[in-house]
Amino acid sequence: MNKLKIEDLQNIREKNKAEFALREGGYKAKVTVHMGTCGIAAGARSVMDALTGEITKNNIKDVIIASSGCAGLCGKEPIATVELLGQSPVKYCDLDKDKMQKIVAEHIIGGKVVEDYALPKKDDMPFFKNQELRVLRNVGFMDPESLEEYIARDGYQAAAKALTQMTQEEVIKVIKDSGLRGRGGAGFPTGLKWEFASKVKSDIKYMLCNGDEGDPGAFMDRSVMEADPYSVIEGMIIGAKAIGAHYGYIYVRAEYPLAVKRLQMAIDHATEAGLLGKNILDTGFDFELAIYLGAGAFVCGEETALMRSLEGKRGMPRPRPPFPAHKGLWDKPSVLNNVETLAQIAPIIINGSDWYRSFGTEKSAGTKVFALTGAVNNVGLVEVPMGIPLRTIIYDIGGGIRKGRKFKAVQMGGPSGGCIPEGLLETPVTYEDIVATGAIVGSGGMVVMDENTCMVGTAKFFLEFTADESCGKCTPCRVGTKILLDMLTDITEGRGKEEDIDTLLDLGRDIIATSLCGLGQTAPNPVLTTIKYFRDEYESHIKHNWCKAGVCRNLTTFMIDEKLCKGCGACLRACPSKAITGEKKKLHKIIQELCVHCRTCYEACKFKSIKILPAKFEGDPSELVGATTETETKKGEA
Amino acid sequence: MAKKPGILIVDDEAVVIKSAERVLKSEGYRVEGALGGREAIMKIEQGGYDLVFTDLKMPEVDGITLIRWIKKSKPSIGIVIITGYPSQDTIKEALELGIIDYVPKPFTPSVLLDVTERAAEWIKGKKPEKPEEKKVKEEFPPAMEAELERVIADLRRKQGALIPVLQRAQEIVGYLPPVVQKKISKGLNIPVAEVHSVVSFYSFFTMKPRGDHNIRVCLGTACYVRGIEGVLSKIKDALKIDIGETTENKKFSLEGVRCLGACGLAPVMVLDQETHGAMTPKKALEIIGQYEPAMLEAASASGMEEMAEREG
Repeated sequence: MNKLKIEDLQNIREKNKAEFALREGGYKAKVTVHMGTCGIAAGARSVMDALTGEITKNNIKDVIIASSGCAGLCGKEPIATVELLGQSPVKYCDLDKDKMQKIVAEHIIGGKVVEDYALPKKDDMPFFKNQELRVLRNVGFMDPESLEEYIARDGYQAAAKALTQMTQEEVIKVIKDSGLRGRGGAGFPTGLKWEFASKVKSDIKYMLCNGDEGDPGAFMDRSVMEADPYSVIEGMIIGAKAIGAHYGYIYVRAEYPLAVKRLQMAIDHATEAGLLGKNILDTGFDFELAIYLGAGAFVCGEETALMRSLEGKRGMPRPRPPFPAHKGLWDKPSVLNNVETLAQIAPIIINGSDWYRSFGTEKSAGTKVFALTGAVNNVGLVEVPMGIPLRTIIYDIGGGIRKGRKFKAVQMGGPSGGCIPEGLLETPVTYEDIVATGAIVGSGGMVVMDENTCMVGTAKFFLEFTADESCGKCTPCRVGTKILLDMLTDITEGRGKEEDIDTLLDLGRDIIATSLCGLGQTAPNPVLTTIKYFRDEYESHIKHNWCKAGVCRNLTTFMIDEKLCKGCGACLRACPSKAITGEKKKLHKIIQELCVHCRTCYEACKFKSIKILPAKFEGDPSELVGATTETETKKGEA
Repeated sequence: MAKKPGILIVDDEAVVIKSAERVLKSEGYRVEGALGGREAIMKIEQGGYDLVFTDLKMPEVDGITLIRWIKKSKPSIGIVIITGYPSQDTIKEALELGIIDYVPKPFTPSVLLDVTERAAEWIKGKKPEKPEEKKVKEEFPPAMEAELERVIADLRRKQGALIPVLQRAQEIVGYLPPVVQKKISKGLNIPVAEVHSVVSFYSFFTMKPRGDHNIRVCLGTACYVRGIEGVLSKIKDALKIDIGETTENKKFSLEGVRCLGACGLAPVMVLDQETHGAMTPKKALEIIGQYEPAMLEAASASGMEEMAEREG
């Protein structure tokens, strides 16, 4: 491709639109197979093969076949979108080869929607209806590998505007006024960050992108990098202009091979087209961009640690000041922004700060992408205006809890966050309100937990993570997280002492107060919030040797309730250690000596006749108060 | 002076054989040519060669087939490949078969002589080896060393080259034993302690050899909530290894990773490059069992197989 000038953008846009718009005499249909990491893992490739095979076999010429990124509804992949001239787009989910063949025959050729596989229309489906797509505006709607398509979707308009019609100060002012805050976790105002760096005088400055998405349970950055790499690059160009940088790096996790591939392709295409490198769009502005692969260290999500890692060293944080805006990568002024933050820069530049503020609250403006996972029905990536209640996200968009179970908590902010209980589900999602609960918005992971999750076990899970990922530089974090973990392990294995709960609280507060970086300063949050909202579970573990969720093996006895057992044999077949005896239609019994407490039978029983009781419990389960799961207690009362 | 080794040049282009002959004969090597894999096998059968230089892309019997045959039938012969298509995959395949080095095509006389000398040294030194030297050679054969040298030469002038070099080195060698770290330390002029400090810091780097198939189990929150622990413990039981270990037969290694970002498919397991979602203990063992049926049997000890039978 020749080096592009600003006037070329308009031509490409019109040409692309004219060529690919569905019309009589042109293309009549467009089929998009959504091929992000999740889609591919779920089998999108074979769906794509079936599609191209059928189209070739039937010698159809007027259908556009396209691939694009994630459609957002990850739990129902593979997904394809069919657009037919004169019809509104239809999304098909849970596809396979045979279903695709049927769709080609009946819908694409026959013109009749295959209702059995189709999702409801956008407006009829709360999952899509409640969303507001800004960051994800292109995700799933375009071919991520096509620069022309990005330009056709108004790509590079903002960069052109920033490079030719705006001064550094003007760019910074728009971003500042918009109220955009860093989406990586801490929520620092982006415009302010840019302003600091722009005011420092230096021969070299760096514009950096943080694609080291380390929070378990968050994957929006992966999805954006895979499905819309150009918007990240465009955001970086605008940021580079604002601070006066001419070099940049995107730091990506090595665990995201597809994101790396698509970003590299985008950088190559953009450089070739004169949209990166020397003299961008013939405006005289230079910006060179390269990818740097991370090597697997959670702490590298912290900005000073990430910059150390970029220098080829151990990624350990250092005290601030000096802040990276003064001394960052190789001691040069540097700005580090998160992928999701950068992806929203372009629309803010085009539409202005008021447009951005039309959603969200005064202090938490705009929209935020959440990765909604765990025990909800609709697992996926959702973008919502900030300030809507948690309940809307979990129950309307997420479709409630799987298998009709009972909600227990939602974990937000990964290992730095906390667990929010049912009583606080009306909390609006803003930075301030979530912090008030003890959790954080963080990078936007939202893992929903049901009655089958043990909260002490959850706290232990996160502490295993932070104790392992602590870089070891400062003592409170290195030693403190280990002690927290040891105590939690004791509690889950039946060695807990009553004073442990208070020790956990005290030690947790000390670690927060004295750690060097964000990792240590937030590591105790999972412990503190679970004690705050689920103290009874800790007490039940310690005082009664009873893990009511049936997760901690040493603290359970599984027994069959004689009144409820129908003798169907489901538990008997499922038991991996053959610990259940009994004939068909007759009462089954668990031989305690053989039971390994794996709770497989509990999941298998359709009549809820398996009871989770305290460790070494003997006697009649019905005699024990509360010897049922919470759901059943409720039912019993009713 | 010791007797110079006998060399067989195998290529489907006569001109390559001719030019190699000219260069090597002038240095006193005994050189002959073969116009393809079939002819090469016939000649090698008759004996008299210490080194074979072979092209990879040849009609009928190709280079990889020839190398496999030599390794099986004449393991004492050293092999160097000459190739115009040094794609990562073919080189990797050849490296795994245990070649000494490769010569990119077209080659200059000095490159060819250089590689030949090294190869000659290698086969000479092969017989009376001290055990520790042998171990080093096994984990880090000269061909890999040469490839690593090229990587270092490529990146040494870049700022912050250490991590990229280590990533490439691990791709080439499979892991990072001390000998590789020393080599990199020298090449980049960075103290070996610093190299080691970086290797031990990042979880991506490993100092233990990996198995043929790498199993990565996601330990993220969504996977935890949806029951990855049960899957993991079943895999551990069946393979009799813990996280970070490799099975005795070197077939599988097991890794735990921090969130693969595929939470929508939780719980997730990745085998080599393939991501598998919605895992259950049974499904996981079935997938692993595709590569090692014996593993499924091993699982029967823990009652898995009976369960599979009854359910099926």
